[in-house]
Amino acid sequence: MTPRLVLSQIDKSFGPLQVLHGVTLTVGAGEVHGLLGENGAGKSTLLNILSGVFRADAGRVEIDGQARTITSPRDASDAGIAMIHQELQQVPELTVAQNMFLGASLRHLGGLFVDRAAQEAEARRLLAPLDPLIDVTAPIRTLRVAQRQIVEIAKALRARARIIAMDEPTSSLTPKEFDRLVEVIRGLQAQGVSVIYVSHKMDEVYRVCQSATILRDGRLIGRVELPQTPVATVIERMVGRELAHGVHHGFARERVVLEARGLTRGRAVVDASLSLREGEVLCIAGLVGSGRTELLRLIAGVDAADAGEVLVDGKVIAGGDPRRRIRAGLGLLPEERKRDGIIRHRPVTTNIALPAMRRFSRFGIIRRAALTARSEELMRDVQLRPLDVARPIGSFSGGNQQKAIIGRWLAADTRIFLFDEPTRGIDVGAKAEIYALIERLAKEGRSILVVSSELPEVIRLADRVLVMREGRIAAELGPGEITEENIARHAIPAA
Amino acid sequence: MTAPTRPAFLSRIRFRDAGTLLGLVLIGVVFSALTPVFLTTPNLMNILQQSAINACIALGMTLVIISGGIDLSVGPVAALSAVLGAAMMVAGVPAPLSVMVALAVGMACGLFNGVLITWGGLQPFIVTLGGLSLFRAFALIYTGGTPIFGIPDGFRAFTNGTVLGVPNPVVIVIVLALAAWIILNRTPLGEYMMAVGGNEEAARISGVPVRLTKLAAYMISGLMASVAAMILIGRLGAAEPTLGTLWELDAIAAAAIGGASLMGGRGSIMGTLIGCVILGALRNGLTLMNVQAFYQLLATGIIIIVAMLIDRATSGKQGG
Repeated sequence: MTPRLVLSQIDKSFGPLQVLHGVTLTVGAGEVHGLLGENGAGKSTLLNILSGVFRADAGRVEIDGQARTITSPRDASDAGIAMIHQELQQVPELTVAQNMFLGASLRHLGGLFVDRAAQEAEARRLLAPLDPLIDVTAPIRTLRVAQRQIVEIAKALRARARIIAMDEPTSSLTPKEFDRLVEVIRGLQAQGVSVIYVSHKMDEVYRVCQSATILRDGRLIGRVELPQTPVATVIERMVGRELAHGVHHGFARERVVLEARGLTRGRAVVDASLSLREGEVLCIAGLVGSGRTELLRLIAGVDAADAGEVLVDGKVIAGGDPRRRIRAGLGLLPEERKRDGIIRHRPVTTNIALPAMRRFSRFGIIRRAALTARSEELMRDVQLRPLDVARPIGSFSGGNQQKAIIGRWLAADTRIFLFDEPTRGIDVGAKAEIYALIERLAKEGRSILVVSSELPEVIRLADRVLVMREGRIAAELGPGEITEENIARHAIPAA
Repeated sequence: MTAPTRPAFLSRIRFRDAGTLLGLVLIGVVFSALTPVFLTTPNLMNILQQSAINACIALGMTLVIISGGIDLSVGPVAALSAVLGAAMMVAGVPAPLSVMVALAVGMACGLFNGVLITWGGLQPFIVTLGGLSLFRAFALIYTGGTPIFGIPDGFRAFTNGTVLGVPNPVVIVIVLALAAWIILNRTPLGEYMMAVGGNEEAARISGVPVRLTKLAAYMISGLMASVAAMILIGRLGAAEPTLGTLWELDAIAAAAIGGASLMGGRGSIMGTLIGCVILGALRNGLTLMNVQAFYQLLATGIIIIVAMLIDRATSGKQGG
């Protein structure tokens, strides 16, 4: 039988960074196929190529045995492919029916007017077998996430999709809602629709999928038939041996440098307290949305806390202004570097100098020569490639941008580094360099807080781990207790 | 390492300015061929002098645009400081003191805009659109809508004077441009402006004083508007409450022709100056050729759009 979908030998690069190397994926008709891999393995890129958001540099797409060229979302839709993103792409103010017919509205009176009644009837018909309780005339914003997801699936069926890709569909679902989603997926299967299912959660993948493709660092690791292959084997192939067994080095000393007491912001972070020692690497683990990033931003003073305080060297830092925290020795390295970390048109030198501009000025004038010399010294030390500090920072790869931002805080004599997903979007070689740099910072007596979703990364780096769950710190794991099972056990909310 | 790499980045910037300059040369060549008067020293001085007022405004506007904002209120700010400064001079207050007060009024208007934008969290476009009406209203209410005549001759002589054959307004613009260039390229404030305009959130996380930076940009813009007002009332000998109508558009056009990105983060003092002269030369040349004013407007519009298209075509790959 011809498979529903064959992607073969897909290559994709972003600038200097190749993110997919000859990846192949096959999905049968009516099959639910898992796409597995760590963050940065290339899953999202592959899905974006399938759905026409990105163009592959090389490779073939075949649907039901026919070669297809997909260069736009429109092509993908015409080929019967629908994508359900993790962040649902809906217009909150429009109704369920309007969202389902966005860009493909039903018309009447000579095509001039949208036929709302017809749209609503059709939406109701499509939603009936999925979730008859959804009111098609309600604005999307009034629906729960699980319902909005169902609406997206109904929209895919409206467009006669034969292949539906779901990117982390359960990241904000309750276990009960997940059960409902499984039923819906079984219904799709019965109609012969193929599903590509991306998830980190092994128990879900084993429950939903019949087979899976494993990616690691943009390369195809293999295809597995699911009930037969043990979980341990799948995880081992996902993370790769060298990272899973990366050796942890600890440099923690006695003195406490940073304390947070009772930090609270809405329901995102509730009564979070922690302390960090000199030379210590403390990792904050937890599911996406458990409040880790929010906690880090409260500590950095980027967001204002409703309650609680931050102490450096035992002294309370007043005010929620990032500048005061920076002066006290803290520095935040955000997850979304492009959005929150860099001024992309400006050279590396400027990006390094921003927090410490006064140090590089005399009589109100910037000493360019001194700034360039110091930048080069720092960047040689962290092995920036290419070592050209006059180049706009936006032209460097993710790993090198991260090195430059580490240099930014080194130049400001920062003692407490707050890393949010330090290796997100960074390829494997640069990852090892970033780990080595973090370990070196610790060895030099700097203290490091790391938020990470990658468990091997946590195990590699952490002296101690805090696990967050639903805005609270749910557990603390000391040496000897830091295992994937322990972290997962505390991270997942009780049903 | 330094020697071969540093010029590479600088030349990237200069490349854009060279493009603007090329545009100016092209316009110069065309008009020189069409009318013999164009390329004479008196006429060139005339162009510079006519461009001086727009240049003042555009310098301030460039800093605001680089820091990610816009200032639509510059014309009325100029009118308000013009009528207040003129009234003081007519009342017998010494000219230097009157000028100082007028400049302070301009900066206060900038402060007003800046505070609403930073601490008030309002959008620059809307705040300065409000300022556009508000400051104009103040000027009209204060004067009852009638011009103030009788600017003292001493002050008029200063604005109409020359240094080594160069009109004083042009000298003032050169000094201000130098100051603006130093602020932008050699001081922390300039780096902060480019950082805030380039990526406000990243700048904030990096410890840039975002609010003070924006505030400084709007206050400089207000100051520059009142300098322009002083030059104008000195030259006319009167202050009209309606002066400065549509100045903001000329200033934005000059900055954009000169390479400032309305998205913020990028712009050039040199480019803006050349942009001003391009607009001035265009109007001067068309006037010399007795082209109707309607067609001058047409030509200005074409120049702006063509400049932006060329910009897009040459740097399009950096978009997104």
